[in-house]
Amino acid sequence: MRVLAIAAAGMSAQQTRVEVISNNLANMNTTGFDPRRAEFADLHYQQAIRPGTITASDGTVMPTGVQLGLGVKPTAVSVMIQQGALAATGGDLDVAIEGAGYLEVMQPNGTSGYTRDGALKISADGQIVTSEGYAVMPGVTLPADTNSVSISAEGEVYAQFADRIEPELLGQFSLAMFTNPKGLEATGSNMFAETTASGPALVSTPGQDGLGVLRQGYLEDSSVDAVREVTDLIEAQRGYEMNSKVITAADQMLSAMVQVR
Amino acid sequence: MMDAITTSLSRQSGLMTEMQTIANNIANTNTTGFRSAGVTFSEFLNSAGSVSMSAARAHHFSVAQGALAQTGGTYDLAIEGDGFFLVETPEGQRLTRAGNFTPNEMGDLVTMDGHPVLDSGGSPVFVPIGAGSVGIAPDGTISADGQIVGQIGIWQPTDPLTMRRTEGTRFSADGYEPAEGRMVQGFVEQSNVDPILQISRLIEVQRAYELGQSFSEREDERVRNALGTITR
Repeated sequence: MRVLAIAAAGMSAQQTRVEVISNNLANMNTTGFDPRRAEFADLHYQQAIRPGTITASDGTVMPTGVQLGLGVKPTAVSVMIQQGALAATGGDLDVAIEGAGYLEVMQPNGTSGYTRDGALKISADGQIVTSEGYAVMPGVTLPADTNSVSISAEGEVYAQFADRIEPELLGQFSLAMFTNPKGLEATGSNMFAETTASGPALVSTPGQDGLGVLRQGYLEDSSVDAVREVTDLIEAQRGYEMNSKVITAADQMLSAMVQVR
Repeated sequence: MMDAITTSLSRQSGLMTEMQTIANNIANTNTTGFRSAGVTFSEFLNSAGSVSMSAARAHHFSVAQGALAQTGGTYDLAIEGDGFFLVETPEGQRLTRAGNFTPNEMGDLVTMDGHPVLDSGGSPVFVPIGAGSVGIAPDGTISADGQIVGQIGIWQPTDPLTMRRTEGTRFSADGYEPAEGRMVQGFVEQSNVDPILQISRLIEVQRAYELGQSFSEREDERVRNALGTITR
C-alpha cells in the first residue's frame, strides 16, 4: 500500500513548507533577513510496466508503460536573496549595504562570519563590533575622544573630534561576496558561514567588482513579504488537507478490502 | 462461475494503481515544474474469450502549462510554451521544466540538486560572478552589464514517445534536439496538477472501488445461495 506512504510524504513536504514560512514570518522585522523557500522534487518512479516492453513478436512496443511515482521530497530550502528596503535610523553606526555583499566579522572561535546586519556598536576598547560584540573586519578602533563617526559609501571610516576640524581616516571596511551566496550556511544571529557550496569569499572595496555600497544612517529591513507568506501559508495548509484527504480515501478503500469475505 | 468476481477484481486492482497516481499528483502539487500523471485502462480478454477484463496498462502525463509564479530570482526561469531545460545528471542528460537554478561554487548554473544546466550547444552554462545585473532574454541569452556571456538552451526530445519520467521532475528520452521556446526570468513554472480534478477523481475512484466491493459481496452471496439451493 504505497498510497498511504505517498500521501504521508506529501503531508510532510507541506509541513516543511509551513515551518519555513513560519520562520520567515517570525523574522519579518529582523534586520537584513532574506526569506527562505522550500523547494520540492518528485521521488523515484516504480516501473510497473516499463515503456518499450514488447507486446508482440513483430516488435510492437508498449508506448508509455505504467510508471508509478512514489511521492515527493524537499530538495532545497533556498534563500531568496533580495535587497530589503533601507530604513533611515540616523544612527552613526547603522550601516546598510545597498547591493550585493556581506560584512565580514571575526567570530570568537577565530573563523569569519558574514552578515548583512549593519547595526554596529562600539566595544569597551573602542572597536567597531556587531550587536553580538564580534569585530567587523578589517578592525577599526575609535579613539576615546571621538565626537562622531562618518562612514563613506566605499567603507572609509572617519572620526571627527571636538577640538579639531580635520576628520581622521581610521580604516576602511571591505565587503565579501560569494559565487553562490545561496550556498552559505546560516548560523543564526543574522550570520552566515562559508561552505564548499558557496565558494570562497571574494573580498573587495565596496562599490567595486559588483559589490554594493555602504549607506550610513540606514538599516536594511527584512525582505519578507507578509502578503506572499500568508498566501503561501494558506496554499500549504490546503495542500496538507488534500494529502490527508488521500489518506482517508485510501484508508476506506483498504478497509473495504479487508472486509472481503 | 467465478468470472464475475475476477473481472470485478481486475478493475479494483487498476483502481488501486490509479489511486497511487492521484496520491503522487497531490503530493507534488507544489513541486516546481511537475507534470500531472494519469492512468489509462484498457480491456483485455481472458483465454476463454467470453469475458473481458480491465487493466491499467498505460500512463500518460499532462503537458499543460503550469502557472508561472513570480519569485524575482535572477536565475529562476520558466518556459512559456513548449520545450525543456537540459541538465546533465550522473545517469545521463535529462529534460526538465523546473527552472529554479542557482550558480554553484564554480560559477556553473546548476539545479537545486547540483546538476549542471546545459546551453544551446550542450555544454554547462557559466554565469559571471560579481556582475552588476544579470539579464536572461526570452531565447536564453545571458547578459551581464550589456555583454553577452552565454545562452541557456531550450530542448525537446527527438522522439516524444521515448520520454520517461525519472526522479527530480526530470524526463529521459532517446535523443534531444534544440527547440524554440520562450524563457521568462524571475518566474518559475508551478506544478500543473489541478487539485479540484484530482480530488474529484479521488472520490470517483474510491466510490468505484466500493462499488466493486459490494458487487463482489453480492456475487458471493448469490453463489452461496445457489450452492445452498442445489445441495439441499
